[in-house]
Amino acid sequence: MGDSIIIENLTKYYNDFLALDKLSLRVPEGENIGLLGPNGAGKSTTLKILCALIRPSSGKVYIDGVDVAEQPEKALFSIGAIIETPEFYSFLTPEDNLSYFGRLRGMKGEVLTRRIKEVIALVKLEKWSKVKIEKFSRGMKQRLALAQSLLHDPPILILDEPGLGLDPRGVVEFREIIADVGKEKTVFFASHQLNEVTLICNKVAIINNGQLLIYDSITALEQKYQSLEQAYLQLTGGNVE
Amino acid sequence: MSDFEKLGIVVKYEFLKHIRRRRLYIVLGIALLVELLVLILIRLLSGSFPSDVMVMAAALTAGPSLAAIGAIFFAGDAIAGEFESKTGFLLFVNPIKRMVLWAGKYLAGFIAVAALIVFTYIIVVIALLVIYQEVPVEILKSFGLCLLYASAVLSVTFFFSAVSKGSMGATVMSLLFLFVICGILESVLGSTGKPYWYILSAGGDSITMVFGSIQELLSSLGMTGQFGNMMENFKPLDIGLAAWGMVIYLVVGFVASIWISNRRQLA
Repeated sequence: MGDSIIIENLTKYYNDFLALDKLSLRVPEGENIGLLGPNGAGKSTTLKILCALIRPSSGKVYIDGVDVAEQPEKALFSIGAIIETPEFYSFLTPEDNLSYFGRLRGMKGEVLTRRIKEVIALVKLEKWSKVKIEKFSRGMKQRLALAQSLLHDPPILILDEPGLGLDPRGVVEFREIIADVGKEKTVFFASHQLNEVTLICNKVAIINNGQLLIYDSITALEQKYQSLEQAYLQLTGGNVE
Repeated sequence: MSDFEKLGIVVKYEFLKHIRRRRLYIVLGIALLVELLVLILIRLLSGSFPSDVMVMAAALTAGPSLAAIGAIFFAGDAIAGEFESKTGFLLFVNPIKRMVLWAGKYLAGFIAVAALIVFTYIIVVIALLVIYQEVPVEILKSFGLCLLYASAVLSVTFFFSAVSKGSMGATVMSLLFLFVICGILESVLGSTGKPYWYILSAGGDSITMVFGSIQELLSSLGMTGQFGNMMENFKPLDIGLAAWGMVIYLVVGFVASIWISNRRQLA
């Protein structure tokens, strides 16, 4: 099996601010990898470059071997993503929104209708499927965001703080869904919740100031630093949010 | 899937958004109200409708002229909204060229404005048929110019939407540009006898001018006072040149908005 995601010498400047400093990382196919780091470490910037939302200052990223900068449409075909706290079109219903995004990915007819029902049921929004999203809470929108990321059954999931805005039950349900689908998919998952990462991922990459500090299995880090939390604290200089 | 098929999908769902929003119905309601006011006020103030059907047709183009406001309302948030409200985090991660997205949004906005224009011209035709039992053939030219004017305003609004951080800013800038800056420039140039066909608001005037010059229309409506005298200095608008002016706004505004939008990053 090859690498689903390849990040090579990725550098990103926001004007004079260096957000990513020659970051290199490989995410093997089928693995669930957590991306950890303090606020401003460069996690969201990395994921946004992977999703072709922003351009790197230098370096390359590949999704399933496809250069994201060169062929963004082809690269995006393989991924499902939740970046930051996305908003849906509030005048449309969940079914409308999912139908829009599903069709843009080539889904149609009975297959699309059935799949929309499946993912809406998966995130427990059946009763709300025909209600305009302007009536939705933050947590409900986050559930719908997970549904849209899974809609086209992508081989790669890129998730940026997917549990944000969810109540405790929602966090648990989210974790179970991601852990379940993660058995068959590559998951690249940025989070501040270390316990969430421990339950979903087998390896973690810890970054700070745009640089990779360590990339290893959670088991190896626990052996070396006693716990993932200790590894995080020591490596990031006790800089906890 | 081809870019053309994706374009069709974007147009369909972006138009669905226009249909689900209140603003389309508000603009339609305002247009209906304006046409009713024109009919009622002319009858009340003049005692009867003008004897010339061309004058009445010109007066009733007040409704179709609202297409500019419709275009600004529909396009103000088309690009800026995706960045401001973070819907772009969902839309842009789909395998579609940004250019196709913007083109689809433009076409959906155009369809919504065209619906408004068709609605207002239906009112104009019905009113003229009821009052005069005839409709001047110039109404077709007026209709075509109105569509062109709406397309040009849509392009200019797209440009402001591409350069603005927020939808409100884009909408306000477009309104200021069209109704304040263009309005002032057109008045100054026109009243000093200079050509003003290249001012966008002159494109809007051409919708009415196909029925006669501004001086003829004002005197037919009994507006011969100080305002009428002032308008006598106005050089007649060359409608052909005004149409070319609108084409320039349409093309330059659209191309510039796509060029700028493609360079915007959703950080």
